[in-house]
Amino acid sequence: MSKNEEKKLRKKAAILSAKNGIRMGIIDFLKKSMERNIFDAVLIPMRVPADDSFTYVLIRDKNLLKNAFPLPPVMSIQGGKAVSSITRLGKSNIKIAAVMRPCEIRATIELTKLGQTNLENITLIGIDCPGVLPLSDFLNNPEEGMRLFDDAVSRWDDRIMRPVCQMCDKSSMIVGDLHIGFLDAEKDSFFIISNSQKGSDVIDKLNITPQADISSWQTKVEKISEKKHKKREETFRELKSKIDGLDNLLDTFSQCISCHNCMKVCPVCYCRLCYFDSDKVKHPPEDYLERAKTLGSIRFLPDTLLFQIGRMIHMSLSCVSCGSCEDACPMSIPVAQIFSMVADETQSMFNYVSGRNLEEPLPLTTYKEDELHEMEDTHG
Amino acid sequence: MVKALKINKDSEQAVIYLLKLLLEDNRIKGVLTLKKINKKGDVAYTLITRPDELDDAVPFYPLMPINAGKLLSRFTLKGKTREPIIAVVKPCELRGFIELVKRNQGNLENLFFISSTCGGVYPIKMAVDGVVKNNLSRYWDAVKKNENAADLRPACKGCEEFIPYTADMTVDLIGKNDLDKQCVILLNTKNGEQLVRNIKLGEFIEGELDKEKLDKLRVKREREKKKIFDEINAKINGIDGLIDIFGRCIGCHGCMRVCPICYCKLCEFESPDSEYTPSNYELELKKRGGLRVPPGILYYQLGRLTHVSISCVGCGSCEDVCPVNIPLTSIFKKVGESVQELFNYIPGRNLEEDIPLITFEKEEFAEIEE
Amino acid sequence: MEKDKEDFMPKILAFLCNWCSYAGADLAGTSRIKYPPSVLPIRVMCSSRVDPLFVIKAYLSGADGVLIAGCHPGDCHYEKGNYYARRRFVMLKKIIEEIGLEPERLRLSWISASEGNRYAKTVTEFTEKIKKIGENSTKNRIFL
Repeated sequence: MSKNEEKKLRKKAAILSAKNGIRMGIIDFLKKSMERNIFDAVLIPMRVPADDSFTYVLIRDKNLLKNAFPLPPVMSIQGGKAVSSITRLGKSNIKIAAVMRPCEIRATIELTKLGQTNLENITLIGIDCPGVLPLSDFLNNPEEGMRLFDDAVSRWDDRIMRPVCQMCDKSSMIVGDLHIGFLDAEKDSFFIISNSQKGSDVIDKLNITPQADISSWQTKVEKISEKKHKKREETFRELKSKIDGLDNLLDTFSQCISCHNCMKVCPVCYCRLCYFDSDKVKHPPEDYLERAKTLGSIRFLPDTLLFQIGRMIHMSLSCVSCGSCEDACPMSIPVAQIFSMVADETQSMFNYVSGRNLEEPLPLTTYKEDELHEMEDTHG
Repeated sequence: MVKALKINKDSEQAVIYLLKLLLEDNRIKGVLTLKKINKKGDVAYTLITRPDELDDAVPFYPLMPINAGKLLSRFTLKGKTREPIIAVVKPCELRGFIELVKRNQGNLENLFFISSTCGGVYPIKMAVDGVVKNNLSRYWDAVKKNENAADLRPACKGCEEFIPYTADMTVDLIGKNDLDKQCVILLNTKNGEQLVRNIKLGEFIEGELDKEKLDKLRVKREREKKKIFDEINAKINGIDGLIDIFGRCIGCHGCMRVCPICYCKLCEFESPDSEYTPSNYELELKKRGGLRVPPGILYYQLGRLTHVSISCVGCGSCEDVCPVNIPLTSIFKKVGESVQELFNYIPGRNLEEDIPLITFEKEEFAEIEE
Repeated sequence: MEKDKEDFMPKILAFLCNWCSYAGADLAGTSRIKYPPSVLPIRVMCSSRVDPLFVIKAYLSGADGVLIAGCHPGDCHYEKGNYYARRRFVMLKKIIEEIGLEPERLRLSWISASEGNRYAKTVTEFTEKIKKIGENSTKNRIFL
């Protein structure tokens, strides 16, 4: 699609009513879409029966939609993983609308490039994201957590959100087929912005006239994104000095127990058998003893840092800074912040933004004959 | 009564001193024990070959970053160690290792064990920000007084298996008022005795576990265990009770990964067998109207119960690592103990006892058949 | 409500061992012995083929009952299979009981190839029992 066509599509936005609040407005839109057979099912978070957390649910019975939560206060399951769980082994035979945060949509797009998701019959719907609470904070008191979250969202105040959310400059990034924009929209309404043919088709089938002017929304998004980008650079500056040098790095990861939770919840870590769980890292006792002898002692099991840096090498170019890793770490290591920092740098080396669009190839699967000469050793 | 080595030092220091002598004298080539690994005082298991590296070892530190049984299995998975190694481990870690050896996941040759009557450990999350360090004196006070320290993990508060079964040497710490002045190392096995023959340290005496003190603690622990199990039983009622307890599970499988009994290279619940195809989803949607994604949380939890409950040593690692604080150990321990009771089995009690599911009696459990 | 219960025909998944109980079930059929149409039979070569995970899967998928039937102890075609199956079943039933689910939905029966009557009787009894317990509510749960 040409840039112009893209721009035209992007501006194709409709206004939907939110008389009973944004959440009910979105649910209404989804319900109508199901009633008109635009979608057969919706993948969207719901509260679990015990009311102490949220999880994705694939909803076929539209009566369940009234309990859906397009913007839950926590990200217990990364949406990219959820979509991959449905379509990794093949395309969906039913039309599914997946309502997720921008980083989850980006993860879905990365996973598609990695061959772990099939997007046929899937319509990705993004939404302005205020961030999420740290999982452990929410679990301490779910009722209070919900209240604080709702209050923070009404003021778009991210101070109680996770560190990676506070510095996320892509929180309203339009990456799916559709995007729900409600920042600075007229009271009692929100925008539904199309970003692809699939998205436009949905708006058309709903018989809504896509003539909305989203320039005020775009301005507000830019402003917020700028502010967060500054915060991002500031946070990374501090972080860099904190982990600078081997000793500081070791200290930062000293309490890592190699539980590999971070790897498991990461949407782009899809290997069924991780390299760092495989036989490649299992050695005979003599090897461990030899290593111990050269230094007098080694941590056992060794290679905690190897796992962390190794994982970085494996997934940094696809990292979407979603922060699931930090939520899952039992030792409160700031993994998401560190991995985000490194990911920003590695991706920018290739002018790549993970999950930005489906057509952009993964940087390591392509090359230009004439590039990156500054990295080569030019002596002799 | 067994032969014992009495050393007039603080118990932890005594063990460190002994290990140093054993290394210096080449009686052993390595030690696996907890050690401070940096200036912050973070503690992790370490394989030590040089005596001076034992200076900041903390063998009885109240923390279990990972079940050492799993570490020992990894150490000897690709073959037995040809050089003698001593591991200082807690009773549940030793039992975990024995269960793994029964499953061909470890080799006992040339491995020797020092253990202690165990006062329990703190949740690993408490190690963040040095909270464990600040509680150390309170911990040892409680151990001396034969009580459960406050804030111990639930798994430890209700643990009745705090006496090691197969250790070569045992240090009885429970209820010992003088544990910071004196250390009595019981030499339970021939190997234990051999290791310290003619050692230039302390004096040899006859010793035994203080059964009275230990029984007193067992009573306290049993009471705690009953409380914990009762709490779980109140929550468990039918499928909805289970959905409530496991509802916030995020499927990270951390519990499986840290469990000493879970050794499968590719877990059943991560294998293609447990993956849903789009048509699986569609079938379920027709039936139920909706399905959580990813599905199979209860299948994973109940399935893992059927796999490990026979050998669950109640070490508490699962609950420690869970990012959403599901009371996993309480559940697995409760179910595990009732399953083990059926067969009069205590996992890790000794190497000769077969895992109950790979053996049978021709006449047994007649009442189960209908 | 009462009428619903009476009309409820349980879905019972039955794992039948090839050499004894499957043949026994066959015999019940050829002998035209009447028994309720509640059983979905799955032939396995031996009762010890039954992985507890099959039963858990069946339970969570909404099976109202699961029957495992094998040869009488001592008569296993593979000599020892049913002994292991018995132990496994004892463990499984205890787990289901301890976790708060309904152990009455699980049943182990020894049925030989010549026991067509016994098969019919087992199925009839089990079906009655399940009717009393009612439908397995996991059928419609979303958050499994």
